[in-house]
Formats: sequence, C-alpha cells, structure tokens
Amino acid sequence: MINKLNKTLGVSAIALGLLATTALRAAESVKVGVLHSLSGTMAISETSLRDVLLFTFDEINAKGGVLGIKIEPVVVDGASNWPLFAEKAKQLLEQDKVSVTFGCWTSVSRKSVLPVFEKDNGLLFYPVQYEGEELSKNIFYTAEAVGQQATPGVDYLLNELGKKKFYLLGSDYVYPRTTNLVLKEYLTSKGIPESSIIEKYTPFGHTDYQQIVAEIKQFGASGDAAVVSTLNGDTNVPFFRELANAGIKSEDIPVISFSVSEDEFRGLPTKDLVGHLGAWSYFMSVDTPANDKFKKNFFAWLEKSTVPGIEKKGRVTNSPMVLSYVGVYLWKAAVEKAGTFEVDAVRAALESGVTFDGPGGKVTMQKNHHITKNVYVGETLADGQFKILKSYEGVYGEPFLKGTFGSK
Amino acid sequence: MIRSLLIVLYGFVLGSGLARSSESVPVVASGRAQLLDALLTPPARQIAAVRALIGVEDAAITPALTAWRAGELYLVPLPNGALVPATLATAPDGGDFLVAISVLDGLPVPDSASGVGSAHPLRIVPKSLKSLETTATLRRAIRDVLEVAGVADASPSVRYESIERLGQSRKAEHLPLLQARLAIEKTPAVSRALADAIAFIQLSDSSPTVRLVAIAALGEAHSLAAASRFKELLAATPPPSSEEVAALSAALKKIESHWKTVNFFGDLFRGLSAGSVLLLIALGLAITFGLMGVINMAHGELMVVGAYSTFVTQNLFVSALGTASPFLNLYFIAALPAAFFSAALVGLALERGVIQFLYKRPLESLLATWGVSLALQQTFRLIFGPANVQINAPSWLQGSAAFHDVLFAYNRLFVIGFAALVVFGVWLVLNRTSLGLLVRAVMQNRQMASCIGVRATRVNMLTFAFGSGLAGLAGACLSQLGNVGPSMGQLHIIDSFMVVVSGGVGNILGSVAASLGIGTVDQLLQPLLGAVMGKILVLFAIILFLQWRPGGLFPTRSRSLD
Repeated sequence: MINKLNKTLGVSAIALGLLATTALRAAESVKVGVLHSLSGTMAISETSLRDVLLFTFDEINAKGGVLGIKIEPVVVDGASNWPLFAEKAKQLLEQDKVSVTFGCWTSVSRKSVLPVFEKDNGLLFYPVQYEGEELSKNIFYTAEAVGQQATPGVDYLLNELGKKKFYLLGSDYVYPRTTNLVLKEYLTSKGIPESSIIEKYTPFGHTDYQQIVAEIKQFGASGDAAVVSTLNGDTNVPFFRELANAGIKSEDIPVISFSVSEDEFRGLPTKDLVGHLGAWSYFMSVDTPANDKFKKNFFAWLEKSTVPGIEKKGRVTNSPMVLSYVGVYLWKAAVEKAGTFEVDAVRAALESGVTFDGPGGKVTMQKNHHITKNVYVGETLADGQFKILKSYEGVYGEPFLKGTFGSK
Repeated sequence: MIRSLLIVLYGFVLGSGLARSSESVPVVASGRAQLLDALLTPPARQIAAVRALIGVEDAAITPALTAWRAGELYLVPLPNGALVPATLATAPDGGDFLVAISVLDGLPVPDSASGVGSAHPLRIVPKSLKSLETTATLRRAIRDVLEVAGVADASPSVRYESIERLGQSRKAEHLPLLQARLAIEKTPAVSRALADAIAFIQLSDSSPTVRLVAIAALGEAHSLAAASRFKELLAATPPPSSEEVAALSAALKKIESHWKTVNFFGDLFRGLSAGSVLLLIALGLAITFGLMGVINMAHGELMVVGAYSTFVTQNLFVSALGTASPFLNLYFIAALPAAFFSAALVGLALERGVIQFLYKRPLESLLATWGVSLALQQTFRLIFGPANVQINAPSWLQGSAAFHDVLFAYNRLFVIGFAALVVFGVWLVLNRTSLGLLVRAVMQNRQMASCIGVRATRVNMLTFAFGSGLAGLAGACLSQLGNVGPSMGQLHIIDSFMVVVSGGVGNILGSVAASLGIGTVDQLLQPLLGAVMGKILVLFAIILFLQWRPGGLFPTRSRSLD
C-alpha cells in the first residue's frame, strides 16, 4: 500500500516536475511560425522572406524580446505546394501552438491556409502585393493592396507623363486579372475611353512576345501610350528583350511593372529594363536613416548567419521583405499594447491602430487589417536599383476597390 | 550679385575655349549667361528662365539640361565662393573621391579657381553635395527646350525623336523651325519625319487647303500617329466640313490597309521565326526519338546543357578579355560548338549508361530518361544555383531592321538562318556521308545491319550523341531568346514531342513541315484570340489532326516501327 502510494507520489512528482519545466520553457520563449516555400518554384522569392524574418527575430531578441520573452521561430517549408501549405499551417497551429505566423507569397497559398487559420483562430501576417477582394479576421495584410501600387502607378502615368492610352499586360492568373479589372474601372473613371485600353494575358513561362511587342509598337505610335505590366517572374526577360529589340524606348512607351522588384533583378538582365518604371511601397534606394539602419543591420546579420544554405552574396532588400519586417514589429507593438500573446487580445490591439516607423516610412495598421503606408514610383537603373521619381505618402489600404470608381 | 557675375565670367572664360571651334561664336556669352541664370535663379522664376532658353543656340545647354532633368546636375562651390554647374564622375585614378565635370566646357573643374586648366581636378567627397532639384513641371519645360535644341542635334536619331515629339505636340509655333530644318536636312529618314511633323501640325491650320494637303500627305506617309488623330478629328464636334471628312476617311483607309499588309507579312515572319525555334528544339528529338525510337524525356535537359555551356563560354570570355573588349561579342560563335559538344558528351554518357540496355523496351526508356532528367535538373541547381543565369546577347544580335514598316529582329533572323543551316547539315550527314548510310541502315533494321557487319552499338552511340548535340545547339539559341535556368528544359519538352509526333515519327522533313506549320498557325491565331487561347486551340487542332492521321504528316512505313 505504502509502496503504491510512494510510487504514485513519485510519478506525480515527476509529472509535476515536467509540467513545471514546460511552463518554465514556455515563459522563456514564444513560438512564432514562418511559413514560406523553401523549395520548388517559389523558393527563389520566398527564401528571402524567411531570411529577413529570422533576422528580425534575432534583432528583437537581442533587445530583450517581446514582453521580455524571446521569440522562438518555427520554420516550416510549404514547398511551393498549395495543399501542403494548409497541412503545414495546421501543424504550426495545432502541434507547435504558435502565437503568430508570418508567411505565404502566392494568393493561392494564402487562400489554401485561410480556412485553417479561421478554424483554429490563428494569426497570419501576409506581406506580398495582392489583388484584394479578401478580408479574414485571422489575417493581417501588410501587403500592398491594388490601391497602394497599381492605382498610384497609373496616376503617375496619367498625371506626370500625360499618357492617354494603356496596354494592360499580365500573366494569366488571379492577381493580374483582378488588378486589371480594377485598373480598367479606374481608368474609365478618369475619362480614358474603353477603346484606348487593351488587355492581354500570356501563360506562365511564355517566351514568344513577338506578337505582343508588335502590337504595343503600333498601339504606342501616337506617343501617348504606356504599358502596365503584371507579368510574373522570368517571363519578363523575353518580354523586355523583345521590346528592346523592337527599338521601343522608355521615353516613348514606358512600362510600369508591379511584379519586378530588386530581388527579381538578381535573376533578370537589367540592361533591357533600364528607364522603365516600378511602383512599390519600399525601394532599397529609399534615403532615410531608418532604411540605412535596416540595410546595414540585415547585411551584417547575413554575414554572420549560420542558417544552412543561406545566400550571403549579392543580396538586396525589397518591398515584400520590408513588409515582412514591419509585420513582425506591428505584431510586437500590438502584443505589448495588449500585454499578452493571446490571439483575440492581440487582434483587438492591432485593430486599434498600432504604428511603426519602418524602412519605407511610417506604417499604421487599419481597422480593416491592411496598413497605411507610403507608395513610391521609381525608374529602373542599370544596377538593378530604382531611382525614386515620386512618392505618395500615407496611402490608405483598401482591399475592396472593384466597383468603387463611379465612372464620369 | 558679384557672385553671379563671377560665375558668368568663369563660364565665359571656360566657354571661349570651346567656342573657338564651334560656329556659334557671337551668341556664346549670352547663351551661357542665360543658362547660368536658369540654373541659379530662385525656383519661382526657374520655369520662365528655362523656357527663355528655347531656341537659344549654345553647346552647353543640351548637356546641362539633360543632366538637370535626370537629377545628375550639381552646383559645385569653388573656394572663392562661385558655383559651377557640373556632373560628378568617379576619379580617373580610381580613388574614393569624385571629380566634377563642368557642363559648361566638359572639362574637370580644377582644384583652385585661379588655376584654370590646372592638372589637379577638384576632389569631392561622395554624397557631400545634393543634386539640383527639379519638379515635374520644370522637367516638362526642360524637355521642351531639349526638343527644340534636338532638331539641330548632330546625331540623326536625336533629331528624329525630337522632331517626332514636336510634331505630336501640335504647336504651330514650331512650324518655322521645322520648315527651316527641312530645307537643310540631309538624312532621308529625318527628312520624312520632318515632313510628317509639319503635316501633323498643319492638321490644325486655319486654312482648309493647307489642312487638306496635310491630310493627304499623312495618308501617303502611312502615319499611325496620324490615324488615331484622324479618328479624333472625325469624331470631333462640330464635325469637319464634308470635303475634309472625305479626305480624312480616304487617308485613314489608306493608312489602315497599309498596316493590314504590314501586319500580314509581320505575322508570316513571326510565324517563320516561332517555327524555326520549334524546329531547332525538335530536330535533335527527331533523330533520337524519330529515327532511333528512344522516348527521351531528358531531351529538354540536353538543351539546358547547351544553354549553360553558352553561359560558361560567355563567362570565360569575360574573365579572359575583360568586360570592355570588342571581341566579347564573338563569344556566341565560340559557344555554338561548345554547346554541341558538351550536350553530345552528356548524350553519349546517357546512351552508354542507361539507354543501350533499353532499346527493346521503349516504355522503360521513358521512365528511365525521365528519372535522368530530374537528376540532371538537380545537378544544374547544385552547380549554377536555383536562380536563372544572365546571358547577355552579343551586340550583333540586338535591335532590328525595318523593311517597309515590317520589323525584323536580328536575333529572330539569326535563329531562322541557323535553323535552316542545321537542317541542311543534318540532311548532309544523313544522306551524303557513310556514317549517315550506316545510321539509316541500323535504324531500319538493327539485326540485319549487324549481320552484315555494321557495328550497331557504335552507330547507336554516335547517333544518339549527334541528336543530343543538336539539342545543345537549340539550347544555345534559346539562351538568346529567353531564360536559362534549371527547369528551362521542361518548358520545351512538350513542344518538341508535339512537333515530332505530328510531323510523322521517323521523318526529318515531317518535323520541318510540322514546326513551321504550328509556328505560323500559332502566330496568326495570337492577335485574334490572345496567347492563352491561341495555344489551347493549336493543341486541340493537333489532337484532331492526329485522330485523322495517326502517323502524322508524313508517316513512315518501316519494318522496325510496325
């Protein structure tokens, strides 16, 4: 009997001890999920976001963490496989019990994890320009909405360059199609007739842009046309090469691209893109002390980093990276405001409008889970950087733009 | 006041050296003074001061304003307090400092104001100066000045562009300038642009006869810019006179029918070029799959080998010759044999290592070569990294020639010519050499050929290597048109099988006909249906065609294929 009691006591003591250590460990660190593709076709873009997130966690931990608690990243690989994204999200939320997740690049990966985050009441920060038309209580979109990239870019063409004809060219998937739908409504509301807008799509991996370039050349012969490109990834190479071969110059027919950032230039020959335009909420060339500090610290961190397989040479910073970075800091500010890591409290704090002075300027979280931020229009330089031509300050993030522009 | 006087004086002293050799001696001082005034005056007066430069002839205005507009103009303070407008450049001795190049004379600003022409340029710490600012309206004013100045520029292409823009601005004030230039212009293309620009401005002339002449002239010149203007005029309220409407419609019709013809021939050329690309990527497969019957799923990766060897050749040239050498442009010539032999070598290893055991089991060869293709892709990733590599087109493959408004891009012309050459080469090898005879013998009946003493294994090996080498050549050509990356082969493998199958397996001529046909149909459908629908329709048409003729265009009757 006593023996048995002793045994039970012993077992409970061990159990208690275990409980105590887990509780203690939980107090030492907070788990944070990183959900990006580290292999497959999207790995080229998404690995940079993992890198900048790990850097941000280290930066915060070095200054004492969040609420005095260190961040412990849980990095999972979505492998450019959309159903796998949902599985990994489930694993992060149900097994690892992360407080927040930063991740996803493509809209389809976000759509695939959305039900998981809603069911388990998780928090996801999404950092890449997207088409809007979505609002989940569990997702915070630090990404550029259409009104924070496409419409300011088109404004620049209309007002600064006086363009009157628009050739909307995109890869054939949801982001270009939705963006162009909104842009067409926007242009019509600015008095551009339907006959002055052409909309064309090409499949992924398309290499033959002869027809399209011939059409652009004739479309732009009147000197008041511009191309608005949502071409994705490496299809830009044959397109811009064909454009240059046809003798089309950026002064005559400028191309504004919404999917080409500094990071893409690591794999694109910049020569043919020089002088063409880009619009983002951050450029590496933004000349502010905050950006200088961010770049210096990130490159210093890369230099010392021991993450296996991390690329150290020729690295750049771009908008999705900075939006990942400000996402972490907005979450940190909200946690500190709420005084807890508990999802509902953090969400309430975020919705109340936390702010952060990021490398691209001040950002403010809005009630609708998008952020107010600066938007820059820049011109591509030969070294793959952008020269900033125009900045729009404090642009409000509105995901539902379709049908909001009453035509004149 | 004294300060600006000093600057003017400084500019005059420096400018006089240059002015002696130029024709515009009498206006140098005033032109230079006006330019300095525009640069130094307070922002509120700046636009007016810049506009005052329109039509002023001075050698310094164009470079100064071009730099200003680009945000690359700096006001460099001299020790005596004067400011010199200059651009910054890295020091010739490669130090950390920058030197200022005065826009007034194009010479480095010397270290002290007294020592004009002294050997030591003024050294400037990077980022210590801020560039002279501009606003959008100011840039537009600068552009107006530059366009007018550009009409008399030494370079024909600058003249051409300036004239085109002046025409599109439709401002009657530019007419005398353009007409004066037309009288002395010698370059034919620029003369044509001048005539067009003058007619374009005259479209809004007050006299109806001038307008009618201008409309007819623009119609004659097939001006596309005029066509969109004509449409605007036709739709305008109040509508133009009936005489003018008739002239406008006639001219519009002329322009539109001209461009319809241009587009038709353009489509044919683009079809030919798309067909040649298909032909190049399929030709190797026409031998390995068509003649030998090996379902080679690694064909795409053999192309990638060729593309990467082009990349390596380019890098070897750069490291051996430096980036500035004029011979760098020749790298592509050297890359072609390199691509052929490296891909042939990989093909040889593939044949010896895998395929020779599978000649009698075509379905297993499909799986095995697919495995090899995955392994090769991973190898490329390990060696060259997952990102695409940059291959710069040699200068002789950039740009295009226009013939009757149809554009012929040089790289496309090259691919067409090269494809023709390769087809001819393959035909020579197969039909005019003893190796070709042996190849055909072995392909027709392997057992019988070995019975009469042909070393069938050796012939198989060489044939497969030859087909692989052709894939390598295709890869080298593709590197001039699109991306080079580890998964590039996957993009083309379907197309190459499509060509070989619809051409008729075992028939090189069939592949030629099929690729040109598919290319042309694809390009003709694209403007009507868009790239996505066009491609779908082509694939659908091929399915239907193969239902009707399962053997392809030119089915081969051969014992080995039955």
